[in-house]
Amino acid sequence: MEIYLYIALFAPLTGSLFAALFAASPKTSVTGIVASGLLFTSFVSSVILLNYVMAGHTVHVEMMTWIASGDLYIPFGFVVDQVSVVMMMVVSIVSTIVHIYSIGYMDHDKGFNRFFSYLSAFVFSMMVLVMSDNFLGLFIGWEGVGLCSWLLIGFWYHKESATWAANEAFIMNRIADLAMLIGIFIIYWNIGSLQYDVVFSQIANLPMPIITWIGIFLFIGAMGKSAQFPLHTWLADAMEGPTPVSALIHAATMVTAGVYLVVRANPIYDLIPEVGTVIASLGAFVAMFAATMALVNRDMKRIIAYSTLSQLGYMFVAAGLGAYWVALFHLMAHAFFKALLFLGAGNVMHAMHDELDPFKMGGLKKPMKWTWILMTLASVALAGIYPLAGFFSKDLILEVAFVEQHYILYSVLLATAGLTAFYSFRLVALIFHGDERHLEHGIHPHEAYNFMLYAMAPLGVLAVIAGMVFKTPYYEMVTHLLPAIEYHIHNHTTFWIMTIGTQLFVIAAIAYAYKKYAKAVKVDAKVESGFLYQLLYNQYYIPKLYDELFSKPYRELSKLAWKQIDLKIVDATVDGIANVIYRTGEKTHTMQNGNLSSMLRWMVIGLVVLLVLAIAFTVGYNAVTMRAM
Amino acid sequence: MQEHILSILIFFPALAAMLGFIVHKDSARAYGITVAAIEFLLSLWLWNIYDPMTSGMQFMEKAPLVAAFGINYLVGIDGISLFIIVLSTFFTMIGIASLTETRRVKDLIITLLFLEMTMVGVFAALDAIVFYVFWELSLIPMLYIIGAWGGPLRIYASVKFFLYTFTGSLVMLVGMLFMAYFYYQATGQWSFSLLEWYRLILPLNFQLWLFAAFFIGFAIKVPMFPFHTWLPYAHGQAPTIGSVILAAILLKMGTYAFVRFSLPLFPDASVFFMFPIATLAIIMIVYTAMVAYAQEDIKQVVAYSSVSHMGVIVLGTFALNVEGISGSIFLMIAHGVVSGALFLLVGVIYDRRHTKLMSEFGGLASVMPRYATIFGIMMMASVGLPLTINFVGEFLSLLGFYKQSHSFTLVAGTAIIVGAIYMLSAYKKMFFGNVTKEENKNLKDVNRTELIALVPLVIITIWLGVYPKPILEPISNSVESIVQLMHDKAQTPEAQARIPNLSNPVAKNSQQETY
Repeated sequence: MEIYLYIALFAPLTGSLFAALFAASPKTSVTGIVASGLLFTSFVSSVILLNYVMAGHTVHVEMMTWIASGDLYIPFGFVVDQVSVVMMMVVSIVSTIVHIYSIGYMDHDKGFNRFFSYLSAFVFSMMVLVMSDNFLGLFIGWEGVGLCSWLLIGFWYHKESATWAANEAFIMNRIADLAMLIGIFIIYWNIGSLQYDVVFSQIANLPMPIITWIGIFLFIGAMGKSAQFPLHTWLADAMEGPTPVSALIHAATMVTAGVYLVVRANPIYDLIPEVGTVIASLGAFVAMFAATMALVNRDMKRIIAYSTLSQLGYMFVAAGLGAYWVALFHLMAHAFFKALLFLGAGNVMHAMHDELDPFKMGGLKKPMKWTWILMTLASVALAGIYPLAGFFSKDLILEVAFVEQHYILYSVLLATAGLTAFYSFRLVALIFHGDERHLEHGIHPHEAYNFMLYAMAPLGVLAVIAGMVFKTPYYEMVTHLLPAIEYHIHNHTTFWIMTIGTQLFVIAAIAYAYKKYAKAVKVDAKVESGFLYQLLYNQYYIPKLYDELFSKPYRELSKLAWKQIDLKIVDATVDGIANVIYRTGEKTHTMQNGNLSSMLRWMVIGLVVLLVLAIAFTVGYNAVTMRAM
Repeated sequence: MQEHILSILIFFPALAAMLGFIVHKDSARAYGITVAAIEFLLSLWLWNIYDPMTSGMQFMEKAPLVAAFGINYLVGIDGISLFIIVLSTFFTMIGIASLTETRRVKDLIITLLFLEMTMVGVFAALDAIVFYVFWELSLIPMLYIIGAWGGPLRIYASVKFFLYTFTGSLVMLVGMLFMAYFYYQATGQWSFSLLEWYRLILPLNFQLWLFAAFFIGFAIKVPMFPFHTWLPYAHGQAPTIGSVILAAILLKMGTYAFVRFSLPLFPDASVFFMFPIATLAIIMIVYTAMVAYAQEDIKQVVAYSSVSHMGVIVLGTFALNVEGISGSIFLMIAHGVVSGALFLLVGVIYDRRHTKLMSEFGGLASVMPRYATIFGIMMMASVGLPLTINFVGEFLSLLGFYKQSHSFTLVAGTAIIVGAIYMLSAYKKMFFGNVTKEENKNLKDVNRTELIALVPLVIITIWLGVYPKPILEPISNSVESIVQLMHDKAQTPEAQARIPNLSNPVAKNSQQETY
């Protein structure tokens, strides 16, 4: 089985290096095909491993030593267990599909080969992240995906906005990474190891405050990657990258790494339910907060990005409340339908010549029938309509909140579910229904290549069946490792009222979105100039606030540090001292002016000084001890 | 030959430098490369025959110089000095091989070979006077390189460099003389041997004064805040080769001396000064990173980033545990490789455009893709991405200091944030965006000569980031003996508590071996 582990892990790296060989040469489809083929190999290996793990085994290998110094010992160790195999499946399925899709999407791009090199490198990093058997190994993947995200957001590097967004994402993630490193330091100095199995078996022996700090710092690390408030602004800006990147990295896989970390570290978070409550509350807040921003945005990709943010909030609610398997389940289901949604958006962008404003589209369901069907399917799944994937994973989170008696969280999530349905279908209605507003701009849309649609089809199937079919076997498998808590509302009446009530509520929201946007689009100037609309449209003014509060002062302070402090104070002081000494020399050279009496006078003074020094040393000498050890 | 390997390593380049005077100036380059390559191979051979399991000194040689005062020619290496020596010979070799300077090449090569002697000498010396002599001698070739091949302000920069470091080393020399005097008072005989000094246990107040004297000499060399201002001038004016050697090797003399002198000689004082020094280190990390961010000249960005990284090295050294000190020594190597490479890269663009202002560039990624790739890899190494060489050292240094202070480490850890800020924004300014300047449209990508130097550095950066064991293990072994020695010598309760007792019998005895 080890061989499959290595294939699953290193096939993407091989693909990346292969594509890198052609990075500087003109576009050749070979890179895309080989990279996709290798990812498919990785996927097949993951399936084999999944079967093996479902039979109750796990695979654990230690490839070689990485860092060893003092008591610290960190190997390159990889583990395939019930949790990592789920992540491996998600990563390999979505990335294979996105790779194949990208062959079409990036068809006309000069950086075709380079793109596949980065994309496969990302998959490798993500595999390292989920398969590592220790915290520092996870950190390798953690930073690796950060690097690839930087490369891919800034893929079109001639665009100022793209490179700016890339740097923002990298730096903001670094802030969180520092917290994560600190968490790792605390673990090491208290347990003496960073291996998951050692840490999790000994964590309960530590004093409570230390466990709490570990939990907090690791979670701050998770907040960066999963773009939780207040480190969320980078995710929407990251939409500057090519759309397949948004589908793979900024929807399905990398941004869920934070959720994975909390799920993986469940033995730690189980001991600190207070921190869990904070995580869940923050998650619920982000779910709502992001959904509100999605309501009014006029950028197709940003709307989906906010939706991702909102769904990540849901996952953190589940993870924070101790329902780790639910969080992981929603992570998986979300990966499928959100990637599908993004790839659909990619088709639309191609058809619309990279236009992103859905208000300039409309009526696309005729020329782009399949994209329309797939995106509607994904939106229904996202809205959580029975029997699609979202119903089983997202509504389950609502039930978790209810069963755990966090009624406030429950209400927030319920309201957010309505918002989710509304903004999703607002988008679908604006793009695919109503008048063909794009005609004014002289755009004649066309459907994407067939093979791109075929590539998307499996995601469509998964978005439909993932909840219904996978739930039971998934539950059986992961509860070997994660706490097996079933969340049932025991009172049947309550259960049915809640389920049907939620469904009706969501359907009503969808209907409202269609009613408002499917026919004619009326832009209500009064609403748009209103405070609330402006607040939401400007993302609560948070990016502006960050710019004023952090970026600008930092830039100013840096200038000040250089021009005023370093050049004027520090350097000038030292130069000044040197000058003083120099001038003293100039003045005191009169000491040796050949005048005997003045020279004698200096000699006497010198002698006295030396004598005083000698006495001081004699006293000091008595204090010296010599001890041979 | 094996027993004289160190002397050969030290004096072969000097001898070759003298013979270099009679070499014709057209073949000076080939001569220089050959000599440096032989020297590098010799140092590799030294690594090969070095026993990584022994933590004490190896290949020791001793010859009396001034017997009456116990001054001996005493050299030897352990895991700490071994790799810095290999790094020195390596950088001299690729420095000469990738030389693009056309003015008075022969003189430059002779100077570099002479510099190589002083560098190997400093890191191999176990006698304080020998150490001091090499330490001071190293100033002269560098002074000459900056002064003769530098930019328009070269005289100011070189005099500043010389006066600064020379003043510092004079204070250090006084400290050494006092140390020898105390040794004489305690034992009745003079000695400048470090190994004998190691056995001397001084009372705290003496340690404090001596520590301070040594500290000034070392701190200026590092350079630590607020003595760092000579460095931007030196880098700003030095030719590429000067900056490369300065950043990669010469700065390491200071941090190396902390480990070799300050820690084992004055364990109590080291603990006493731990937090003041850590404060300076943190100022170095954060403040110079901010200054780096404000720069307009790419070379100054790299120069200030050097200071910032040296802050992490100092912090790791004063973690006073195996993880921290090993990490700081590893980071010395790592920083040598990465900053050396970055200065070479700056040299590449300077040779083409004769400017280092970032505003003159932009969009270089499309004109010079290979250059952008190598620069990108080195930038990511500098930022401390895992699986690059810097991460191992940075991680261990910070991890080590976390044991001593949580809050200090948290602040020092911002190195990974502020480092990313100035590096990424510099990279963005140079490589991203559209090509706006006409002159940049037809720039040539890196050529073969430049790749000769850069490709090995890229390979090392990744190889040692993935598999640091071959050098981390010997380093750790030697560090263990230093930490144990410090623990055994510690007198104040605080020092005893802060310096871990490894109670490893092998490590305990090895340092005490006599010759």
